[in-house]
Amino acid sequence: MFWQRHLNKLRWVSLSLVFAGLILIPFLHLYQTYEATHSYDYLSSGEKYIYNTMELLTKPFTDDPVNSLDKIKGNTWSGNLFGIKISDPLAVVGQTFAGLTIYWPFVLSALIPVILTILLGRFYCGWICPATFLYELTDNVGTLLKRIGVPVSHRRLNHKLKYIILAVLSLLCALTGTMLFAAIYPPAIIGRELYFQIAAQGFGVGIIFFLFTMVFDLFVARRGFCRYVCPGGALYSLLGHFRILRIKRKVQACNDCVKCTAICQFDLDPMRDDFGQECNNCSACIAICPTDALMFTLNWKDSVYQGPGHLGHHYKQRPNDGAA
Amino acid sequence: MERRQFIQHSLALGSGGLAISTMMLGLVRLLAPRELHASTQTVPLPGALADQAAFAAACIGCGLCGEVCPPRCILFYRREGSSNLNLPYINPEEKSCILCGKCMQVCPTIALSITPADKVKMGFARIDRAACYPWVDRGVCGACVSVCPLGDKAIGFDFGNFYRPVIKDGCVGCGQCVEVCPEPSLPIRIVQPGQQVPRKTHPNFPS
Repeated sequence: MFWQRHLNKLRWVSLSLVFAGLILIPFLHLYQTYEATHSYDYLSSGEKYIYNTMELLTKPFTDDPVNSLDKIKGNTWSGNLFGIKISDPLAVVGQTFAGLTIYWPFVLSALIPVILTILLGRFYCGWICPATFLYELTDNVGTLLKRIGVPVSHRRLNHKLKYIILAVLSLLCALTGTMLFAAIYPPAIIGRELYFQIAAQGFGVGIIFFLFTMVFDLFVARRGFCRYVCPGGALYSLLGHFRILRIKRKVQACNDCVKCTAICQFDLDPMRDDFGQECNNCSACIAICPTDALMFTLNWKDSVYQGPGHLGHHYKQRPNDGAA
Repeated sequence: MERRQFIQHSLALGSGGLAISTMMLGLVRLLAPRELHASTQTVPLPGALADQAAFAAACIGCGLCGEVCPPRCILFYRREGSSNLNLPYINPEEKSCILCGKCMQVCPTIALSITPADKVKMGFARIDRAACYPWVDRGVCGACVSVCPLGDKAIGFDFGNFYRPVIKDGCVGCGQCVEVCPEPSLPIRIVQPGQQVPRKTHPNFPS
């Protein structure tokens, strides 16, 4: 499927749009407040600059910015999109444990993400999460650092660690009666801290934690936070265990070049058909495959190891050599 | 591993970790704007759960209430630890609530429930009669009375003593009077039900 190799570009467009939205929404809020008070003449030069830019951006779409800009509010942790409230499933889990009560309007606000995750797997981590945007850039910085000789560590931990962290933190939420997830879940931190910095009182303590996770990614494990620590990633992995959309290797077209396994930031092994629930359908392996051997398929099970790729190779058949 | 090598390694690791953490802390301090003064009043949001612990359990810290607030009065505990972290509050000395109700509509959880403007319980305004201009016969003012969004139910003038403001039972504690008060020592404040009024006593004006 030749067109699927361009999905990775689409994914970067999606990640950039979400991140740009998280920066833009606080600025639009500032513009709304300036507009609502008719205070243009009293603004400082910097505020006037914000006002003019936001007016330029919103003029083609709305005549009534004060009210109509309320339709898109919030961040990926919990947002309000054209009257539909959408919350992260982790927020629902954490709040239910913290309050020990079920508040149905809030639970239902996570319905759309949950259904999409059951169908598409951990796609949120690859396509939407604003922290993924920064972590992938961090990973590129790690490649640069390695090139100039700074040691970048790629340790392997046990990926079951994040499920244990999810369970322990849920328990701690119930014991302490507070939303601990909000303090350590990177997309929640990013959305909130960007808002704090742009339209409220300035960066909070969450940004320090986020910088630490970046250092953890660089010097302990590649994309280590998403793979080994993130409780949201654990929840999405569990929800997407029986997902329908999976990447599949076409063994006839594969030439065993290992590029897919090398590019995979989640340390999976597409060349040996090893995806599992950790795969976030990011399609980086599809984009790099030189022979278009990898593709998205609708399948609720990963195929077992199909043996080495057939393209351009003639192998001696050994008895234990895969299913082929 | 030899002892010397071990000491060298641990020293290098420790100093490296210290350097990295200090750099990050410094970066955060540099990027953050300077606090003008420590906030002295923290008032709960309109429609918030009355119990502070229940509010901390219900709030998910998404910041939506702040993102829709037209006067941008909703602030957040962002450096404080413990259970307060990421929870919203209002400091009426800087900016006060206008009781528009947008935060109650947008809140995804039970932390803020939709309440009509005159049923909100954010606190109760109290006037320190030893500092208020008209109460100490230092001119006429009435700013708090003219700005009150609930009007006659919440605040009025003392009978026969013009421009001396008196709080009535309808006050919901939105804090617009606090924001508008021209006296620098802020004789009008929002207090919580169990809280004592911080007041300067004056021999001529008891209570």
